[in-house]
Amino acid sequence: MKIFKFFISKIFLRKAILGIGMILLLFMANYITNTAARSILSTFQGYQETKYINQKGVYIANLDPNSHIDMDVINENGTQVVYDYLNNSFHYAFYTDGFIVSVPNTDDMKVSLGYMNEEYYELNQFELSQGTDLDFNYQLDEKIPVLIGKGLSKTYPIGSTIIIEESALGRPVTLKVQGVLKQNAYHSNYYALNSKTYYNFLILFPVNEGFINNANIDLQLNGLMDVIILETTQKEIADLREFIENNLGLKFNFFSQKENYEYFNEYYLHSLKIIAITAFVLIIIIACLSIWNALVSVRLMLKDFTINLLVGLSYSRLRKIFYSYFGILSFVNLIVIFAITACDRYGCWLRKDATFATYGLFCLIGMDWFALSVVALLDILIEIVIVESMLWRIKKVPISLGVLQ
Amino acid sequence: MRKSLFRIVDVLELCTAYIFCFFLNVLLDYAKTLDLDSYILKAFVKNFIDYQPLIVLLFTFIVIVFHYQMLHRKKAEIFCKILVGDTVFHIIIRYALDCIMILAFAYILSVLANVYLNFNLTSSLYLVPILITYILISARQVRKYENF
Amino acid sequence: MTKIIDLRIKEKIYKSRKSQISILNDFNIEVNTGEKIAIVGESGVGKSSLLNILGLLDRNYDGEYTLFGSPTEHLLTSELAQWRNQRIGFVLQESALINSLTIEDNIKLPILYTGFEKGKSKQDEDFEMVTNAIEIKSILKKKPLECSGGEKARAVFARGIIMKPQIILADEPTASLDAENKERIVTLLFRMNKEFNTTIITVTHDLEIANRHDRVIHLERSK
Repeated sequence: MKIFKFFISKIFLRKAILGIGMILLLFMANYITNTAARSILSTFQGYQETKYINQKGVYIANLDPNSHIDMDVINENGTQVVYDYLNNSFHYAFYTDGFIVSVPNTDDMKVSLGYMNEEYYELNQFELSQGTDLDFNYQLDEKIPVLIGKGLSKTYPIGSTIIIEESALGRPVTLKVQGVLKQNAYHSNYYALNSKTYYNFLILFPVNEGFINNANIDLQLNGLMDVIILETTQKEIADLREFIENNLGLKFNFFSQKENYEYFNEYYLHSLKIIAITAFVLIIIIACLSIWNALVSVRLMLKDFTINLLVGLSYSRLRKIFYSYFGILSFVNLIVIFAITACDRYGCWLRKDATFATYGLFCLIGMDWFALSVVALLDILIEIVIVESMLWRIKKVPISLGVLQ
Repeated sequence: MRKSLFRIVDVLELCTAYIFCFFLNVLLDYAKTLDLDSYILKAFVKNFIDYQPLIVLLFTFIVIVFHYQMLHRKKAEIFCKILVGDTVFHIIIRYALDCIMILAFAYILSVLANVYLNFNLTSSLYLVPILITYILISARQVRKYENF
Repeated sequence: MTKIIDLRIKEKIYKSRKSQISILNDFNIEVNTGEKIAIVGESGVGKSSLLNILGLLDRNYDGEYTLFGSPTEHLLTSELAQWRNQRIGFVLQESALINSLTIEDNIKLPILYTGFEKGKSKQDEDFEMVTNAIEIKSILKKKPLECSGGEKARAVFARGIIMKPQIILADEPTASLDAENKERIVTLLFRMNKEFNTTIITVTHDLEIANRHDRVIHLERSK
């Protein structure tokens, strides 16, 4: 420790520019790695989520990009006819969210409602931290059982009731808290798998046939945009497409399991490959610059190192000093990356952005810790390369020559 | 060139550092123009585009490291030149001019890249005063080695 | 008297891209404890190379070396470092100081690598004794660049003896000094020999200094 302190205070800090240069280079490498690791993991998580849904005989709806939504043509009657057709001819999973309601809570967050039917609920297998699963057999004039996110559970424990002005029904309804979702439960956007909506401040509303029949056009139409048709055939889907076009004037695409996999391989896998390759190339460039910076340090501090070697410092001890020094530099960088991530997460709480607010140590979630671990691993690799290059360079110069540099 | 502190290796090293900074800027400008249909790629690239000046500025630190280490290595040469009749003033002027010439060369290359890619010619201009500031600050370091 | 050094070199080769030079061909040397030996010879014959080998700085040669009764071939680099720290003292030219450290820090550098074997108070005592004996107290807080050649030479000497080594290897310690400082350094070297029975091996071009040693070894260019 005494020797290490001596090297830090009397040798490395005397040429602080080189140390700062190294910190900045490592910071860039860490930033790139962190960004790439989060992008890749987040997309992978989204992909895992779609795997529950993307089964054989399942078709996921998507409004054709060339189809124009003409609200003059679309009316409640039209959407109801479509739902009647769906109810009579198909099994379908229904999900829509983003409907903000005024529900007081201790964190003063905006609360959104997520609507899903039984089929969707079963497909996703939500994990609960308290309470029991959703019950879809209810009457609209009764207390409606709901699941809530962890953020609301402090204000609304199991069994408590919430009265809200339900915009889809256009009247107040009483909700009864049946269960609490596991913290940081999320839903990925199927068309941007790396983007997620967190359910910590969401009320999960059970949707049954009676509810859909009484809901307004906004909810019916939104639900239709992402509707998932289960256990069906290509023929039936073609009929459904035609039916929707005739009644709503909207062109829908329904993608099969095979098409979704192909889309994933073509679109996501390609994007992930580009991200990985770009990050790799950038990290290699930065690693080369770091080695250059390290060799410059050796060039300038050679006399200091060799005189210490002359009076009793061993190469193995010098190696330990270098590892400790670069370990500290990496640790400083890791703390900075950690702070940036934590600020980013905490910012969602400050902005009252309920869809991105997360729980965890310093608001960090598993994905963040994973990315930080990847960053730490990369730092260790870069550190090994740098330290061994420096020692190789120092060993190349005879001590007797270095001393008289 | 004989009177200059720069050897061919130093010229190449500094030129590479400048070119790296300018082309990083061009690369990020290029990333802005990419018509990416992938949301994931867009989100990834945005992380860099949003902080473009900061990222480029951080990388210019390698130029500071270059100036610092080069002058440190050349202190004996500076001292010897003064001994045999050169002056600190002339050494500083020659050093600054050499650096500026290399900077100009690297900048012209980046301008050509901008012309080729149809980008705004002044997009890398903000780097020039920054890099000139580094040259001027480092030139003051020469005075430190007046007495070896 | 016990034998402290037994070195038998068949050949030491320096290779460059275009050529190779062979020095110290079939060179043998035995040194007893407390002996004072001077090594002289024209430039390039391998005087400093010999000192590097004796000081365990260079093991890249064809030969055998027994130091303090132990063969050195199989010693670990950490063991070599420990011997350099505690049993061998190097007195080099005045430029062999770290310019960013004060003279005090430069002299105390070997102490840094001893741990607490001797105890802090003993180390401080040794430091006091050495700096008093070498009359260097007034410049302890100065940096090497602020000192004269003689002062720097004494600082290098102080660093070389602070650990009270059994062997002192001096490589042209007086090369750039005036007559007064030259005499001072030589007197200090011989005082170490007299008071602590330290073995002294000095590489020098100065025949007057060389002749004041017990034995003078003339190195000649290899054929």
